[in-house]
Amino acid sequence: MNRRQFLECAAILVSGATTGRLAFALTEEQMVYLASAPDYTSQKVDYFSPAQRKLVAAIAQTIIPRTDSPGAIDAGVPHFIELMVAQWLNDGERSIFNAGLKDIETRIPEEHGKAFDELDGDRQLAVLEALEAAASDSPWYVQGNIRRAFISDAPFICQIKELTAWGFFTSEVGATTVLRYNVMPMRFDGNTPRTPGESTWAPFNFYH
Amino acid sequence: MTDTTTHDFDAIVVGSGITGGWAAKELCEKGLKVLVLERGRDMPAGTGYLGEHAPSWKLPFNGKPDRTLWEREYPVQSKVYAFSAANIQFWNNDRENPYAVDEGTPFDWYRGNVVGGRSLMWGRQTYRFSEQDFKANAMDGHGIPWPVDYDEIAPWYSHVEKFIGVNGKKEGLAQLPDGEFQKPMSWFAIEETIHGRLKKHAPDITLTNARTAILTEDLPGRSACHYCGPCENGCSTGSYFSSQSSTLPAAQATGNLTLKSNAVVERLEYDKATGKISKVHVIDANTRARSAFSARLFFLCASTVGTTQLLLNSASAEFPNGLANRSGVLGHYLMDHFLGLGVAGIYMDDTDKYYYGNRPTGLYIPRFRNVAQQDQELDFVRGYGYQTMINSSNWTSAFNNKGFGAGYKNALREIPPSWMFYMGGFGECLPQQRNRVYLSKTKKDRFGIPQVAFDFTWGDNEKAMAKDLLAQGERIQKAAGAVMSIAFGDAEKLSVPGAGIHEMGTARMGDDPAQAVLNKHNQAHDIPNLFVTDGSFMASSSCVNPSLTYMAFTARACDYAVTQLRAGQI
Repeated sequence: MNRRQFLECAAILVSGATTGRLAFALTEEQMVYLASAPDYTSQKVDYFSPAQRKLVAAIAQTIIPRTDSPGAIDAGVPHFIELMVAQWLNDGERSIFNAGLKDIETRIPEEHGKAFDELDGDRQLAVLEALEAAASDSPWYVQGNIRRAFISDAPFICQIKELTAWGFFTSEVGATTVLRYNVMPMRFDGNTPRTPGESTWAPFNFYH
Repeated sequence: MTDTTTHDFDAIVVGSGITGGWAAKELCEKGLKVLVLERGRDMPAGTGYLGEHAPSWKLPFNGKPDRTLWEREYPVQSKVYAFSAANIQFWNNDRENPYAVDEGTPFDWYRGNVVGGRSLMWGRQTYRFSEQDFKANAMDGHGIPWPVDYDEIAPWYSHVEKFIGVNGKKEGLAQLPDGEFQKPMSWFAIEETIHGRLKKHAPDITLTNARTAILTEDLPGRSACHYCGPCENGCSTGSYFSSQSSTLPAAQATGNLTLKSNAVVERLEYDKATGKISKVHVIDANTRARSAFSARLFFLCASTVGTTQLLLNSASAEFPNGLANRSGVLGHYLMDHFLGLGVAGIYMDDTDKYYYGNRPTGLYIPRFRNVAQQDQELDFVRGYGYQTMINSSNWTSAFNNKGFGAGYKNALREIPPSWMFYMGGFGECLPQQRNRVYLSKTKKDRFGIPQVAFDFTWGDNEKAMAKDLLAQGERIQKAAGAVMSIAFGDAEKLSVPGAGIHEMGTARMGDDPAQAVLNKHNQAHDIPNLFVTDGSFMASSSCVNPSLTYMAFTARACDYAVTQLRAGQI
């Protein structure tokens, strides 16, 4: 284990940095050390119906598709969304979400003869674009970008977009393979060359 | 020592944060047996930092705030940028340890509730007060004159800086004296560009490294920064100064330290016969068991508000208005820096450059108004500085873009072709009698101790200064070549008092016992064995971050106290 790997480990204590020696202290507390905790999305959840699960996955994948890099489904975003709807949204937000999902579930087969997840990609895109056009005066489009803010009365399309983007870029797949992730850079250089198409660093923290 | 009474300890220090840790180290190193009492939980260095280096996918809700928990348990603490799921264990639980928020005027009181206190999640910016700062009160008549001048405290600044490790750059400015610096952290290319333009177009403005208590060179037992970024989650390599990384281990190493956590100090007992403090009365936060400890010396380092609460709650027949409060100023002259106002500039330069590593600090623009003498055209006294930050935006500020699919994904993934240079002002606050901390007459906490309440309103000087801060911010961004600048903050309302987390001044020092609680050695005028060295001693606030000044005065007070004790004067 080199120094860099060592520092990435969970519970560490310094002893005598002048000699470069680091002492390792494994205690019971390491059991709850977040860096070694199970992923948030490793929890089971049973909130959506099987049909709704398909819809949510298809919507998430339309928002962030697999390109030459992984997409929303590869990153486990549909499961993240189900967890967040069940656990994180408040009652008012959850009822907006449920109504929005119900609308897709019932209206799309009426209009198109089949479920959203069975439509071709262009049709799926058109459905979401129509929802966004109808929602475009929501303050979410103006204020939602203040980091962690969540506009409580944002329409369904905004909710699912935020949860998709959040779930994707904070996932291990999204942060490490689509963005760049380095928890232990060891140095700072503010003058590195930038190559076209390069990804940002995954942010190290999510401020308010 | 001439005092032959049997005492439990030579000295008792209340609080283990930035100043408590310093008092413990200095007193222990001078050979005193020291008891440190910390009301919060134990927080072992390293192993207690449960969120350190935690990736987003391990955090509850992948890092989205746990709104239910935060609103219920941490309604005040969760407002500050540094509060997160990765360090929630450091913060005060507002429900368990409330203050009287519905009395007086709004005030945000940010508190740690662990060993180390706010030294674990502080902002780490570390500046000396200048000669001008120490003369300001005497010059313009606000507050009372400082009893200490710059030359007297300068060696103590050096003493502290060398031990805690401060990285920075010498600039030779009278208004921001240089210190003992480790090598500065390097800059973003865009910062170099801005620096060059300011030299040309705004030569009155200095742009320098934020002087920050983060190591760029190893110190004994501590490693240079590894640039992971979020210091406030704790640092097991001890790369930034905290009580855990620095002062408590030094105190421990002497064999003279006893540290008790979960020890809530209820009151100090004054002994009429000796004219000194004899004991502290302590409640165990878990068991509620009561105990008392005696000592020769008492150092209050419980934070400005905590110490003031303790003194007010220690009123007795001899001190009916609060311990050591014959002057009547205890609790008054509360100050905090106003912040949250400034100007952000967008730059299209250096877009072929990017960065590696997370520099956990920014640059600083020191005060340039009313420097040396009052600028005649200004309608305010004193001044302000800006803390600056480069923000290369990422998906967190773009997820509400319109559109879907590969284009949306790429826009969130890619490096945007611009930089943001953020300048946040920190303004000096004048000491005003009406701004105060007091004990609620009706509300008590779970230990039966009266809760504190606040009365604090910003004055006209702060508002006038804030207007200037916004206008000058625009000028600086323009001179630096911003293609667009956005001013933020309301100069009429200013920040919620307390949001600067630089509350200070409620047991001020001064030569006149009728106007000050403490003398120039942080010793209570009324009680020779009582010293107060947290922010409550401050006679004025300057505009720079105050923690270094608290530490320097603490070390100096310890030196004086032990000398006096050994000379039989205490």
